[in-house]
Amino acid sequence: MKQTKILFLIAVSLFGLVLASCVPGGAQPAKGWAGITSNNGTLYMGSMDGKIMAVNASARTQQLHFPADGEWEYPITAPSGGGLSCSQTSASVAIYGTPAVDEALVFIGGYNGKVYALNTSARSQNLDFPQMRDNEWFYPKTNEVIGAIVGSPVVSEDAIYVTSSNGKVYSLDKDFGDQRWESDVLAKKLWSTPYVEGDKVYVSSFDGHLYALSAEDGSITWSFATESKIGFVSSPVVSNGVIFVGSFDRNLYAVKVESNETLWKFAGDSCFWATPLVSNNVVYAGCLDGEIYAIDAGSGTQLWSFDAGSPIVVSPILVDDSLVVAAESGNVYVINSKTGTGERIRNPGNDNKPTINALVQATPCVQEGIVYIRGQDNYLYALDIEQGEVKKFPLVTE
Amino acid sequence: MADLWNLIILNPMLNGLIALTSVSDGSFGLAIIALTFIVRLILLPLTIKQLNSTKSLQGMQPKIQELQKKHGKNQQKLQQEMMKLYKEAGVNPLGCLWPMLVQFPVWIALYQSIMRALATTPESLLDLFRHLYSWEVVTRALPLDSHFLWLNLGVPDGTMILAIIVGGSMWVQQKMVTAPSADPRQKSMNSMMQLMMPFMFAFFTLMFPSGLALFWAVSNVIGIVIQYWITGWGYLRRGASTQVVTKAGGQSGITKRP
Repeated sequence: MKQTKILFLIAVSLFGLVLASCVPGGAQPAKGWAGITSNNGTLYMGSMDGKIMAVNASARTQQLHFPADGEWEYPITAPSGGGLSCSQTSASVAIYGTPAVDEALVFIGGYNGKVYALNTSARSQNLDFPQMRDNEWFYPKTNEVIGAIVGSPVVSEDAIYVTSSNGKVYSLDKDFGDQRWESDVLAKKLWSTPYVEGDKVYVSSFDGHLYALSAEDGSITWSFATESKIGFVSSPVVSNGVIFVGSFDRNLYAVKVESNETLWKFAGDSCFWATPLVSNNVVYAGCLDGEIYAIDAGSGTQLWSFDAGSPIVVSPILVDDSLVVAAESGNVYVINSKTGTGERIRNPGNDNKPTINALVQATPCVQEGIVYIRGQDNYLYALDIEQGEVKKFPLVTE
Repeated sequence: MADLWNLIILNPMLNGLIALTSVSDGSFGLAIIALTFIVRLILLPLTIKQLNSTKSLQGMQPKIQELQKKHGKNQQKLQQEMMKLYKEAGVNPLGCLWPMLVQFPVWIALYQSIMRALATTPESLLDLFRHLYSWEVVTRALPLDSHFLWLNLGVPDGTMILAIIVGGSMWVQQKMVTAPSADPRQKSMNSMMQLMMPFMFAFFTLMFPSGLALFWAVSNVIGIVIQYWITGWGYLRRGASTQVVTKAGGQSGITKRP
């Protein structure tokens, strides 16, 4: 009996240890997947170690020491409890959104629930943050935070708009970071990027609502809910008075703005996680089933589909008539946007491996015909889609 | 190996849990309770076997104590005699351990299912889709609401209430089956075990998501009911006297005194 009980105690203790050591497949920590944006020849992105970086592609190609002229990095940190110790340390903050750039200011939201405005000149000089005279700020201005920010900030005229995990949309003054308004709680959490068109801010929510808010005061001017109350998982895109948005029920919805009419819905074999791209009355939607679909925006009819072999979690990019699609596996495809025929860009080192040897979960961008992708391995990849060349640059600096 | 685990255990449990949430009007807490009932129902034959095994071991206590008195100084001889006794009675002393061991993978899968289903980070939400079946009843429930009563099922309960319920119910369950011993060493061991196990699980409750602790609490309550159904209150009632009888064929058991 004694042996039995001791054995049992050992087994229970082991169980505790196994669980405590984070059984694979338990909670996934927030690491971030910040996208890239291009402005005046400079690439702005978040890194996997919580830094906002300004990178000059030409300087990286020449392998100049980082930071070269015009380049900089700024680590976003947040106080972190010292666990069992009494000391308080700072930890890097996960970044999910794509930075928004307006002239000299770079805006980003952190998973710590703060919004930052960084001035490119002040950051190049590595001055203390925030430099008020350069219009640098963070919001909220106190030690308080709003809910974790997952969507990207959007700049429109003199305001920026962000959604928060506390279920609200915030509008902030672009130059000083003062709050212009905050919306009512629209959902338990908002992870989507708002879409701003004219005087309306459109957001989609996990609880199955689409909202149009007044850009002036944040009041709800229109809302729409699916009959089945199915939640929306992707960010919305508005084109020609129609909102296109992916849902948890594996459908891509087209909803007429300011009406309660679903124009059409298109079923995939999994969710449409990535924000769809709309161009020339065609919706290009990447799906977690590994297909990229071209759908007629007016009728919802499928024009073609292309199998990318693994889930697509980032939006496709149009470069002239070519659609560049990055699958999560790291394979990148160049597809004729009219016919749907395309091919994979080969990995220069090993043709059997994906185009880039890393997961792709961050929104890419195009600059002067080169597609830039930040892999989850914290490297920046430059893909010349005409030549089929792939170069990579580390984003970890000393 | 991980793929096999996902295919056979994790994915069915995860999808089942989400489907149960869907039919429980979106309540993830009710789904966990329903899943606990299902798991306990599946394990019922093993549980009954465990209880019968425990009951038999309890019935043999006088004989064991007799052997301890007789061979107390010769541990090797004592072990041999005890094994002989177990064999004669057709009892496996490790028999009561297996039902608990069988539940370990269930607990681990449940822990993973809760964390995956609640998808508290964007990575978790994206990862969740890799494990979902294409059932409408599953997709309809997403994203899940992590709140149930006062609990956020994705994080440990900070109020101590659940820890007390888990620890308390486990203590009751143990007390029902642990026979008082005349041997002071055995007595002290029993007392330590009766406190140690509930304390450990109460501690786990403070460390792990309250969804998992909810499973433990409900599972303990179901266990108490099953135990009551088979053995009555057993040794829980202070002063409840029991009479050990030896059944024909060497089987022994407890009968409650009228």
